[in-house]
Amino acid sequence: MRIKHLIAVSFLCLGVVSSSLAQDSLLDILKKESSKEPQYTIATFQATRIQLSHSVQTRKKNTLEISAMTRYWNTPSETNNAFVAERMSARFGLEYGITDRFTFGAGFSTINSITDVFMKYRLMRQQDNGGNKLSITLLQTVSHNGKNSSFYNVVNSESFSEKLSFVSQLLIARKFDRNFSLQIMPTFIKRNTIIWPSDDQNHFALGFGARYKVGRHVAIAAESYYISNPIESINTFSPFSLGVNWELSDLMLQFKMTNTPNFVEEAFITRTRRNFNFKDGNFFFGFHATYFIQF
Amino acid sequence: MNKKLLLLFLITVCSSFSKKVDNTYIDRQGKITFFSYTPVENIQATNTSVLSVLNADNGEIAVEVLMRAFEFKKTLMYEHFNESYIESDLYPKAILQGEIVDFDSKAQNQTKIVKGNFTLRGITKPVEIKVNIVKTNNYYLINGELEVEINDHDIRVPKILSANIAKKIQVSFNFQYESYEN
Repeated sequence: MRIKHLIAVSFLCLGVVSSSLAQDSLLDILKKESSKEPQYTIATFQATRIQLSHSVQTRKKNTLEISAMTRYWNTPSETNNAFVAERMSARFGLEYGITDRFTFGAGFSTINSITDVFMKYRLMRQQDNGGNKLSITLLQTVSHNGKNSSFYNVVNSESFSEKLSFVSQLLIARKFDRNFSLQIMPTFIKRNTIIWPSDDQNHFALGFGARYKVGRHVAIAAESYYISNPIESINTFSPFSLGVNWELSDLMLQFKMTNTPNFVEEAFITRTRRNFNFKDGNFFFGFHATYFIQF
Repeated sequence: MNKKLLLLFLITVCSSFSKKVDNTYIDRQGKITFFSYTPVENIQATNTSVLSVLNADNGEIAVEVLMRAFEFKKTLMYEHFNESYIESDLYPKAILQGEIVDFDSKAQNQTKIVKGNFTLRGITKPVEIKVNIVKTNNYYLINGELEVEINDHDIRVPKILSANIAKKIQVSFNFQYESYEN
């Protein structure tokens, strides 16, 4: 009799256990079957620019980015009561994603009449749980210095090829956590001609850029460069920029405080003539708007 | 007497195990599409690698949606969806766990209610979804629609963009379950 009871109880227990197993099993199967493929890290930076320089980001295939970049500043000597600012410069640019990893772009800057074209290739992408801990992007730019008698200019040139300069950059970035990303940019700059023999034709520089996300759509970003062999004939400083990037659906707005009115790598890395402070003539307010179109 | 009982015991154990395996169905490539209709902008995204499991014995159903697997026509939206709205680094998956009420595993064609809990962005809400279930020789086909309120799951839209994103997101799903083998 006792044994029978025991058996009955054990059956009951088994029933309970097996039914509870069955209940868990669906979620267990989900866990077992769920994809474990590594995912590529997204949005190391919000835009294709950190502040002044390119970020590792490239846009996907068949997307066009139209950008308008502007800088506003006052001159130390003049007091002409201009509205908002006494001087401004601008660059208008287009960037097109030929593939997900390859972007081609071009732009025109009003300051020094610089025309620039660039190619950008996303070599390596960081993975969230995979082997790649870094993103690496290659950038090659060619810029044509249209004006050669400007205050900001160091290029003495007549022919088209003499007005060209080339910048090669290796952009290495890592998204450390959901808010913080850091990028280092070893840079090689080559100018086809120079005015003064004391100046180098080739320059090496190392750039640092970082962003910190402060809201779901807003990030603070900063950037600077160390130049190993700066231009000797004029007094130059490291470019610096600190600002806010605000993403609004198809529109990206970037606000910045900087010490350079230039937009093209060659110009702002080697030819920044002001130190960063808030005095008239040294302080440049920058506003970039980038609009995104998908074809 | 004892031996007989032991045999019975073993048979029940074995049969209960084999039963469980036989009547579990899985879909690894389920399809979920969501729509956001507003006068300003229509947004649509599709996920074709939704994982779902169905227990045909008791009608229990579980669905796992990898948020990163949604594909958008506008590629920039993919980044914004994951980064700023769903925050898929913190909440990579949405889970539905429920039961098809009065599920009939033999019926060819039936319309039933799924009662369960839907978890998105770590917030669980009870849901009732009307589904259409078709049984063919080897498959169960289940499809239906539901509506997800973005406020229920703390999906915050900046005021300046509130006209672009609907308050209620229409979700439609389509699953084809085949027999699950371990």
